[in-house]
Amino acid sequence: MSPNAPTGGRKVFTPELLDRCISCGFCLPACPTYVRTGVETSSPRGRIDLMRAVETGVLPDDDATVQEESSFCLGCRACEPVCPAGVQYGALLEEWRDHTWDRGGRRRVRLKPLLWGANRPWRLRAMGLVRRRTRGGDGDGPQLMLGCYERALFPKVSRAARALVPALRVDPGQGCCGALHAHNGDLKRGRELAEELGRRLDGTILTTAGGCAAHLVTVLGADRVRELSQYLAEADHRPRLTFGAADHPGPDPAFAARRPRIALQDSCHLRNGMGVFRQPRELIEDVGEYVELPSASECCGAAGTYSILRPRDSKRILDDKLDQIEAAQVDFVVAVNPGCLRQLQTGLKRRRSSVRALHLAELLADHYVPP
Amino acid sequence: MRADAGALRVYAQDATPLFRGEPDVVVLPGSTAEVAGVLRVATELGVPVIPRGAGTNLSAGTIADRGGIMLVLTRMDGLVEVDLDNLAAVCQPGLPTARLGAVAGEHGLLYPPDPGSRTTSTIGGNVAENAGGLRGLKYGVTRDYLAGCEAVLASGEVIRAGGKLVKDVAGYDILRLLCGSEGTLAVLTELTVRLVPAPEATQLGLAYFSTLAAAGRAVSRVLRGGVLPATLEFLDATCIETVEDFAAVGLRRDAGALLIFGQDGGPEGVARDVTRIAEACEAEGALDVVVAQDAAQSDRILEARRAALPSLSRLGRVTLLEDATVPRSQIAAMVERIEAAGARHGLRIGTFGHAGDGNLHPTVVLADSGEDAVARAHRAFEDIFEAAIALGGTITGEHGVGLAKLPYLERRLGAEHMALLRRIKSAFDPQGILNPGKLGS
Repeated sequence: MSPNAPTGGRKVFTPELLDRCISCGFCLPACPTYVRTGVETSSPRGRIDLMRAVETGVLPDDDATVQEESSFCLGCRACEPVCPAGVQYGALLEEWRDHTWDRGGRRRVRLKPLLWGANRPWRLRAMGLVRRRTRGGDGDGPQLMLGCYERALFPKVSRAARALVPALRVDPGQGCCGALHAHNGDLKRGRELAEELGRRLDGTILTTAGGCAAHLVTVLGADRVRELSQYLAEADHRPRLTFGAADHPGPDPAFAARRPRIALQDSCHLRNGMGVFRQPRELIEDVGEYVELPSASECCGAAGTYSILRPRDSKRILDDKLDQIEAAQVDFVVAVNPGCLRQLQTGLKRRRSSVRALHLAELLADHYVPP
Repeated sequence: MRADAGALRVYAQDATPLFRGEPDVVVLPGSTAEVAGVLRVATELGVPVIPRGAGTNLSAGTIADRGGIMLVLTRMDGLVEVDLDNLAAVCQPGLPTARLGAVAGEHGLLYPPDPGSRTTSTIGGNVAENAGGLRGLKYGVTRDYLAGCEAVLASGEVIRAGGKLVKDVAGYDILRLLCGSEGTLAVLTELTVRLVPAPEATQLGLAYFSTLAAAGRAVSRVLRGGVLPATLEFLDATCIETVEDFAAVGLRRDAGALLIFGQDGGPEGVARDVTRIAEACEAEGALDVVVAQDAAQSDRILEARRAALPSLSRLGRVTLLEDATVPRSQIAAMVERIEAAGARHGLRIGTFGHAGDGNLHPTVVLADSGEDAVARAHRAFEDIFEAAIALGGTITGEHGVGLAKLPYLERRLGAEHMALLRRIKSAFDPQGILNPGKLGS
């Protein structure tokens, strides 16, 4: 007989976080990697037990199972809302990767350029210059977070946000929020970047990326951060959106006669970390017929850098979702996080699907009626 | 099959605090033939085999304290069929309970047993533990819905018992014997369960009392009055306070006990029964009675009960949950003795549970897992078990014996009954390889 909770350890983990788990197993069916493998090492309860083994030194840092599981985990935090004991799994995972990915010497080569690029604001500015930048900055509303890769990959998203929130302020000199670093084994830099951004952007920070929003909330607190759908769903900020041939048909003539069918892919951290999931659905209802996918709340496999680090596992998870999207016969699938958007676009393109993936901001901006 | 240190570590525990035991190997079979193969090898080598579902039991029933093979049945999670003519479902043991419930619901049917862990737990595990839940009083427990099974004996031989039958008296009731046998007699590889028509409506309500004794009297009055409620749960004063501290669901802190009641069935009958229950509570001096007006309000009422254990667990690092059960007329007396046991050993014990079943969950929360604290908790539980037996009750109502309660089993059953258990065990498993050191050892 030995206690479940370790007493005294190597200080890899915050003891209060690690002690919280009561091993009840309620997290198992919520975990995409457990559901797909049926093996408990690939579950939140199992992974926490592995963390405890690392904490007490029972398993070495370079143990193959420890290394594999810290990387196989999507980090989607779907285990958090179902946990009766309130375990902060996302925070534990960050501490685990911070420790294990360094010591194990498997700092991923594929991630280096990504993290390097997002590490300094000027590098991000350089990326922004390539594409047409979001202009503005004279409003008195919240500050738009441009995102590190979003501004290069999806510049239209920021422009759409600007259109939807006229008072939005935009500071082109801003850097990365650090979520990328925090989720990939560099907790310290992740916090520093978030704090830097918090100092640079005064007042409320508005972001179009669910993953960034959740990270910023962790570091800066919930009162400083709003995710776009969260902000727009508030009564004072609700944009006037229309749909219908007579009034404002939107840019696509195909929908002059019928409302488009629109599905949503939740952002894991937005839903599981911040509890925001009602808002994007409500906003979609304003412009089309909302269709709930059976797995809308489950990870799409993008999972930050997961699709780069574990392309095969990522594709397996995505394929299940693409099957559902095609079966649901929707016109659009909406994302609220750039990583998910890229994942869905890539997958749909590969299948030559007629379904279009777009960001919530883009969908709404297409149907926005300026005051 | 897995034998890496990480997997052995992870499968060393189930949902029971303070118990660990590493297996030598973890095997996840995909078919009855593979299960039989594993058992033949284990018999030949004389190694323990611990059958396991999702590992949510609270009695250390799946701890490999003697090493051996952890036989994990989660890969065998298929639903074979839903038979609407015979109101039955056939499934593999690894099918999660909630998934069976969802499929039944799609056909307008109900699989009534609903243990707290139903989203994770498996049908095979539920049968092996004879799991209960919140619907016990009106609907019964897992045993009452088990109609048939396929099982592999320790020798590797495959037997079948029961079937899609309401009546079947051919032979000893092996099916009932396997139900609740905790993996010590055979490995279940297929289950046939009964389904019932789903009730059209459900309504809940709650009543506050100044003492648990008053709540207990209200329960008696309800049942004597000819109403059999679908839900009858209670929280003691410690639970009410803790739930309010951590979950803030809006309970009255000045109450000594909270009774949650509910009925299901046709809409008119439900409304009539709920009114009668509310009246019975008022007649016994309830401080306040609230009846839910819609589904959302019903859900909020149940939230108070669901929040009991999670809230208690936040008081400290180690949460020890027990399962003593008494005839329902003795609930108030039992809770008094639980409080006395807590005071005697310097522990604060919160008790909640199924008032209609007399099934109590006294819960001790320790600041840490230090030896002194754990020893005090064990002494308190010993007193609680003694008290339960003295009141005509038992040491476990629905969690099982496992490793955790084996030391107390003889007190409940007596020496002759224990000896019979051992003879049954050796008839099924002469070498004693199936989940050794637990029931029947």
